[in-house]
Amino acid sequence: MGLLCRLILACAALAPLPAAAAGLAVVMNSGAASLSLIDMSTEKEIGRVPALREPHHWALSPDGKSLVVGDSAGNALLLLDPQTGALERRVVCADPYQLGFSPDGKLLVVNGLARNQVDVYDAATYTLLHRFRTGSMPSHLAFSPDSRRVFVTLQGANALIAFDLGAMKELWQVKVGNTPAGVLWLNGKLLVADMGTDYLAELDPADGKVLRHVVTGRGAHNLFLSPDGKVLWVNNRVAGTTEELRADTLTPIRSFQISGGPDDLAFASDGKVWITRRFAESVAVLDPATGAITDIPVGRSPHGIFLNPRAPTPAKVALGG
Amino acid sequence: MLPALYALGLMRWEEISFGWALFAVYGLVQVALTYAICLPLERWRPVEHWPDRRVVTVDVLYTLIARVGVLPLVTFVLFYQVQTSMNGWLADHGWVPPMLETAAPFLLGKPVLTFFCYAVILDFADYWRHRLSHSFRWWWELHALHHAQRQMTFWSDDRNHILDDVIAFLWFTAVALVIGVPPMQFPLLVLVLRFIESLSHANARISFGWFGERLLVSPRFHRAHHGVRAAGRRSCNYGAVLPWWDMLFGTADFSRDFVPTGVPGAREALASGSYASQQWAGLTGFLGALFRAPAPATQATASARAAGKPADRAASSRAAAAPPGSPRSFRP
Repeated sequence: MGLLCRLILACAALAPLPAAAAGLAVVMNSGAASLSLIDMSTEKEIGRVPALREPHHWALSPDGKSLVVGDSAGNALLLLDPQTGALERRVVCADPYQLGFSPDGKLLVVNGLARNQVDVYDAATYTLLHRFRTGSMPSHLAFSPDSRRVFVTLQGANALIAFDLGAMKELWQVKVGNTPAGVLWLNGKLLVADMGTDYLAELDPADGKVLRHVVTGRGAHNLFLSPDGKVLWVNNRVAGTTEELRADTLTPIRSFQISGGPDDLAFASDGKVWITRRFAESVAVLDPATGAITDIPVGRSPHGIFLNPRAPTPAKVALGG
Repeated sequence: MLPALYALGLMRWEEISFGWALFAVYGLVQVALTYAICLPLERWRPVEHWPDRRVVTVDVLYTLIARVGVLPLVTFVLFYQVQTSMNGWLADHGWVPPMLETAAPFLLGKPVLTFFCYAVILDFADYWRHRLSHSFRWWWELHALHHAQRQMTFWSDDRNHILDDVIAFLWFTAVALVIGVPPMQFPLLVLVLRFIESLSHANARISFGWFGERLLVSPRFHRAHHGVRAAGRRSCNYGAVLPWWDMLFGTADFSRDFVPTGVPGAREALASGSYASQQWAGLTGFLGALFRAPAPATQATASARAAGKPADRAASSRAAAAPPGSPRSFRP
């Protein structure tokens, strides 16, 4: 790398973070059949996109052109333009509660929480390739980095289940805590947030053996890795806290009080953390540097949240569809 | 609620219990609102005065059980599970699950208008359910509990036999599933419709005027349905919220004026018994109707026929004799 490039990068690293990140935030209001569009620079809601029934979670298509939102009770995938929030089309899909594209971009896995099924679709055509009938309430999912396996928490069955996406078969299923929810692949291990307990469970992906528990807070619901890979954030629903842990050792750093049922979380380019407050009909924008929190009112029961810092001027946001 | 669910190890029910609790609170608020609005109306312009209101107390119990307990459970929790299963099955087989917005896309993004459309459709369905409940003897034996109340008040709307409620729920749910009512709206629809129905049962001398009576069911309009001369199979004014269906299908009677209520010849337990005895009387009547020959017509229809008049179109008369043992004063 040339000297000039290094100088430029060094200056950029020293430059202060912008006062507020620009871009578009999309919040899934699961209790209001709508998506809130928020101008990230002003931190104000600028519009709503009607959904059919219950938008919960999202996944960005492998080509980055579609924000795919699962409308579970609407039995549809809503495909939105991630730049504007405009609804482009709907795809009929049975109970898409949680969804994720495999790292290689070839498959879309959809958890049907109310129908106890995990569906595997072709990512390009949304054609159903295989359906796994599972135990009660398949909730969240995580892929192995090589895309060959997917791990799904079964909230009602208190278990974690692993599927081989090549052979399309179940690999193993193990009991893990009480009401397991969020799951994450981290440093070659699996971490499961147990909402009925106060800990994360660390498991061996080879056989699901529980290696240790890491205490975070009551109602450990979901977990998120910071973009730099150094910090793990855990939302504790009952305790009403968001916990920072070192990603390498899982030792606690800090804890922030976020009342109203902290649920999903996303990282803005200015370093702030956006957290949906499920029972408070709002999004909390937390500045970890100062601990300051800004509240943005949205619709009922906000769940998933997507941030697009590269979205153009919010005035160009299109609504409806 | 969250700490309680956590302590009991029931966090898997967190999301759905939030919805249930929300609608239970709505139910409580609705009861309070109904009380706040209807009670002053009853005191301001009562149709009847009763020195003894004990028979009204059991109606209060019916209301609290229904609107705070049962309705949130069945209209949200059960409806949600059934709808999810049904719609998921349809989606599995490549069919688009039914919903009003897909049939009428202009409704998308217009929640208020859509809510109103759902309410109109459900009210239409309820008109026919109600009319049928007067047409089949076994069903009438259950529904008669609701009509047996001689001291009708705004509390009387939920005064129903459990089996009658089950039938109504199944009926309502089937229609709501076909038109795809959102699970978060179904309990709200029921509560809103029930509020208007409470008002229409009020012991209040209130009419909405010529035009208003033809727009919304009023206490005067619905009281005619509960009149002693309209009890049984040939009644009038079946509409719960909208009189439009009665007007459309020829069952509207706007001529009656604050008639006495009750079911002549009905067992006294239905009218003035405890909650349990009312339910038992309804059940035995229902079973008897299923396994016995058709019973004689009610007192009202028999006397009307003797007079050569149709039972449900008799001229309004305030000379109906009060059943023995229930002193009442009836203002002309």
